[in-house]
Formats: sequence, structure tokens, C-alpha cells
Amino acid sequence: MDAVLRIGLGADVRLIDVLHRKAYRIVRLDGPELDCRRLLDLGLTPGEAISVVQATPLGDPLIVAIRGTRLALRRREAAWIWVQ
Amino acid sequence: MGAVDLLAPDPPVLAKTLTVCLVGMPNAGKTSLMNQLTGGHLHTANYPGVTVTYSRGKSASRWGPEMHLVDIPGVHSPFEPSPEEDLACQIIAGRHKAVQPDAFILVADATQLERHLKFAGHVARQGRPLVVALTMTDLFPRLRLSVDVPKLADALGVPMVVVDGRTGEGSAELLAQVKLAAERPVPMNVLRRLPEDPVEAYRAVDELLERSGALISARSEVLTADRITARIDRIVLHRYFGFPIFFVILAGLFAAIFWAARPFMEGIDAAFSAAGNLVIEALPGNVLARFVGEGLIGGVGAVAVFFPQIVILFFLMTMLEDSGYLARGAALVDRPLSALGLHGRSFVPMISGFACAIPAVFAARSIPSHRERLLTIWILPLMSCSARLPVYALLLAALLPAHAAWTAGFSLAGIYLLSLVAGALVAGMTSRLVLRKRFLSVLAMELPLYRRPQWKPIFRVSWLRSSSYLKRAGVPIVVVSAALWLLSNFGFGSHTPVEAAVSSATLVAQADLENSFAGRLGHTLEPVLKPMGVDWRVGVGLISAFAAREVFVSSMAIIFHVSGDEQDQQPGLLEQMRSATFANTSQHVFTPATIIGLIVFFFFSLQCFSTVAVVRKETNSSRFAVSQLLFYTGFGYVAAVMFVQGLRFLGVS
Repeated sequence: MDAVLRIGLGADVRLIDVLHRKAYRIVRLDGPELDCRRLLDLGLTPGEAISVVQATPLGDPLIVAIRGTRLALRRREAAWIWVQ
Repeated sequence: MGAVDLLAPDPPVLAKTLTVCLVGMPNAGKTSLMNQLTGGHLHTANYPGVTVTYSRGKSASRWGPEMHLVDIPGVHSPFEPSPEEDLACQIIAGRHKAVQPDAFILVADATQLERHLKFAGHVARQGRPLVVALTMTDLFPRLRLSVDVPKLADALGVPMVVVDGRTGEGSAELLAQVKLAAERPVPMNVLRRLPEDPVEAYRAVDELLERSGALISARSEVLTADRITARIDRIVLHRYFGFPIFFVILAGLFAAIFWAARPFMEGIDAAFSAAGNLVIEALPGNVLARFVGEGLIGGVGAVAVFFPQIVILFFLMTMLEDSGYLARGAALVDRPLSALGLHGRSFVPMISGFACAIPAVFAARSIPSHRERLLTIWILPLMSCSARLPVYALLLAALLPAHAAWTAGFSLAGIYLLSLVAGALVAGMTSRLVLRKRFLSVLAMELPLYRRPQWKPIFRVSWLRSSSYLKRAGVPIVVVSAALWLLSNFGFGSHTPVEAAVSSATLVAQADLENSFAGRLGHTLEPVLKPMGVDWRVGVGLISAFAAREVFVSSMAIIFHVSGDEQDQQPGLLEQMRSATFANTSQHVFTPATIIGLIVFFFFSLQCFSTVAVVRKETNSSRFAVSQLLFYTGFGYVAAVMFVQGLRFLGVS
């Protein structure tokens, strides 16, 4: 509920807190530099639309759709991604 | 100036065969294109100094100009690269000594243009001739997508050819374009001017695609338009169905390596035994003939016997990889495995390890990060491989009363489960204590679209990978087997091995084992064996088991003078083991405590020189392989001693 509220207000949320199967826009990446650089290279760039498609049975990693492909992102990595 | 112009179209330089590298991101379809371009005539090679393999071959004559083609590993990102990515980046940047391509074929997935074109920019920036090969266009209808290729090629300023790795469509044109591009100076183009920074680069690519109008997409913002993939993912990653499906696939994989390979392995084993015996019988009493027959042919047989398992494993792995499931399976188990410092993809080598550590070590190649790959290889010797099975069967039969077969079955299942637990513990402890810097690599694993596997390329790739096993592991294994044969057949006492009717091609001669070097070694080791509660005879068995663990059983049969076929040996051997006592005493060698001690020893110790040889090759580090050998064998010994002494202390003799 909290996440929904904040999205309603247009504030930034982490990708781990968003609703599944809804589209968001990446605002910024906030994590270890080299790791984030790798995510950027994979196409997770600010401004791009992103969506958490589903979680795996153990809750981690998350399945994320971006640029027409699917990625498995650990929650740790998803927490670096701030979206709107 | 005029002289320079005249020199430019230098005929001898142009006449030489071009070397062309296939580059691209993983899952772009490089391998099947490579297969198509070379007509399947490719072979694998290793870069000097690293364990990364690549395939190379000559282009098939039906596609026009002859070229040397090199398929280099796919690259996701040049940051924090895996060993494969690092090497590919070196070649792309022209910093590699052995591979200096004249031109690149950039293989790009047409369904993911943004990401693949961004990578194309990275390659183009190096200023070498470049032709883009667009793959996966057959998926366009499924994705409700289309690309106007001439428009896109115009906008980028590079030649672009649509290819199909299945049918060979576009191959001739691709090579013609490569030849053309290599003959001309590289023009400045949009692709080369793409910024280095990923954010800028993506923005430029997005803009370019939009402006040129080359990409016609019906996909709604982000949710993948491919309904088939979405639907399958919803099932195989389902909260309740996900794991049952995973376990069924795992069981299938295991069964195939374990049981489907067995008839082939027995056939190969029988063939090499027969060939060895043929040599021995041709020259009866000849020492050299016996060395060739038992030591060398036996050694080659020891290599070849793993071949069916390896072919089957690589075949199934390639199939799982190509269909798209492997990445999903890895995502399913990533959480527990990453908690131990392993990678989601570690599950394939670990399961293979229950059949044999050797193919498992090879399977670890699919793990992208170096550190997690090494940790996976580190714990593989703990997985209860099939060579331990006959040893456990013998020891459990000696330990447990014969009438209760189910207790032995239960104990065996327990041993298998415990080996997985031990592997988890060692992995967790190693990653926390030894690799104290507990940094985690980024998973960010691409889940490719589901596709129907293509049989022909899969067959070829698995064949290539398997034959590279023969090449890499073959020599060390043969050398070690031959050395062990010499050790167990020669000694100070008698310089000629006793002529014996060898019914089964065991490595150890029948009668003279006590006087052999191995026998001496067993005697020398007696003080060390004493705490384990066993005598030199078991020591000889343990030493010979380094050739392969199951040799322990046949060595015991020889040393306790039990003759006959392997099948009817067991009762006699058990009888002998029960009555065996230490020299000049009435103290039994095989008591419940010592048998449990032996089981514990076999559980932990890395008694397999073939594994050590393969690990050395794969990790390119003797230090790693030797410390693994010492760690597990030492740990096995200490644990065995602790069990034996502990049990004795508790009153179990």
C-alpha cells in the first residue's frame, strides 16, 4: 500500500517495492559503481521503461522486462534501481 | 604522396585469406551462424594461457570467398568481465597477440536492436572493417515486429545483411560484403561515432531508430510482446509448479548421465579390456606387452570410458541452454546457491558431479563469473560420483547384515544427501573464510526467448566440446594411469612382474602386489594408516584407487587373493575381509569402526588423479588443483581417524 501511495505522489521508489506487471520509468541507479555500469550496459538506463514481470518461487531473483528482453535480477540489484 | 597511393591497393596483401571474427552479445545466434558459414567444419582451440575455448574454421566454398572464421565468446558488458568476456574484449580492441582479425562480423539479434546496436558501436569504434549480420528475423511475426534493413543500414552507415543460421540464407551475401568492407578503408559512420558512455549510447541508438523509422514495433511499452515466452515463464517459474518442473528436468538430466551412458561405458570398457588382453596374449610373458596392454591401453580406456557421459551431458546442456530453460533453472535456484557464494548456474555442474566430477568440471564453464566458477569446481569432488558406488556397495555389504538389503539402500541414499550438504557447507565456509572479501557478482542474467532447439548445431557443438575433453584431459590421465601401473607392477624385490592370468583388465597385477612399489608404499604408510584402524593391504587399495575409485574393489580382491569374475568375487571377498586380521595378531582389520572410517575417507577424499588433471587444465592453476587434492584427502583422513577413534572410544570396536 505504501508503495502505491508513493507512486501516486510521483516520488521515486526502488524496483523491489513496485507493483508487478506495471510499467515504470527508471530514474537513476544507486549502487556500487562497476556493478551499476554493468546494469547500464545491459540497457537499464535512466528514462527507459521497466516492469517487474514476476518473482521466482523463492522470491529472489525478480524477473524484469526491459528493452524487449527479460532479465533475472537479484533483489539486491533491483534495490539499486530507482523508478517512477 | 603519389607513391603512397600506388602502394595502397597492394595485391599480395589483398590476396591473402582474410581472418574474420564473429562477435556479438550472448544469445545473438553466433554459434549457429558459425556452423552455417563453415559448413560444420570447425574445430575448437584454446587461447594460450587461458582456458577459454573458441571455435575456428574455413568458410565453406559454396558461400564464395574463402576466409578464416573465428567465433569468439559473447560479451554482455566490458565491465567486470568474465574470463570469456575479457578475452573477447581484448580481441575486439586489437590487444590480443594470437588473434588479429582483418574484419568483424557483428552478429546482432534483430529483435533486440537497441542493446545489440549499442554493442556494435563498441566494436565499430575500434576502426576495423565491420559488417552487421542480423539474426532472429524469423521471430518477427511472433513479436509483431519488423525492421526495414536498407533504411537501418543507411542510417548507420555500415553494411547489414539478414542471415538465418538454420537455412544459410544470407551467408553468401554476408561474406561478399565482408570481403568488400575489408578491401576498402573504413569510412567514418554513425556507428563509429556512438558515444562510449552507456546512457548516451542508448539515447543515441534510440534516437537513431526512431528518426530512421527502421524499427516498426507493435510492442506496448515494455512488457515483452512475445506471449509464448511470457506464458511459459508463468508456468516454469510458478510459485508452486516451478520447482516440481525443475526437479523433473533435473532427474531427467541425472538419469541420462547416470543410466543412459552406462551401456556405452560398459561397451567401451569391454572393448579396451579385450584390446589390452589381445596385446598381452599375443606376446605372453612379455613385460612390455603387459605395460602396453594394461598400463597404456587401460589408461586410454580410462579416458574413453567417460566419453559417453560427457557427450550426453554436453548435448543436454546445450539443448537446455538453446531452448532457454537453463537460464530459468538457474534463476530458480539462485537464491540458495548465491547465499553459499555460488551462482544459479552452478546447479548443472553440481548435479553432473553425482555422475562424474570430470564432465562436471567442464560444465562449470557456463558460470559467467570467475570467482563463482572456481568455487563450484572447488566443491565438485564432494559430490558422490558414480565411481564411489562400487566402493560403498562393498563396504556397506561388509558393514551391514546381508539379509537387510534396505538398510544398505537407506545408508547409500543418506551418503548421497550428505555429500550435497557437505558441498554446501564447504562452499559457504570457503566463501566466507577464504574469500573473505564477500563481494557478490551481479546476476543480471538474460532470459532468452524460448525457441525450439535446432538439433544439428546442438549435435555439432556438443561433439566439439566433448572432443576437446579428449584432447585436454586425455594425455594427463593416460600418463597417470601408466605411472600407477608401473608403481603397482614393479618393485625392488622382483624386477619382473609375475606372469598372471589377468581376467579383468585391472591396473594391478595379480600376485606380486605386496612386493611392488605400491605395496612398499602401503607398508611405509602403515604408521599413518594405523590411526584409521587398517593395515598396509587397505593402504595399497587406497593408493591404487587414485587411478579411479572403483579400482579399490578389484585391488582388494587381488590383495586378498580372491579370484573369479567381478560378479562372483564379492561373496568371497567379503568372507576374506571378515576373517582378515593384522599380521601376527588376532585383531580384525575390518570392524564396524574401521569400515565406517573407510566410508568417511572415501566420502571426502579426492581420490581421482583424472579429476586433479582436469581441474588443473580448466583452472590453469597447479596450485588450485594441488591444494584441492591435499585439502580433501587430508580432510578425509582426519575425519576418518576421528570417526574410528571416536567410535572406539564409544565402545564400538
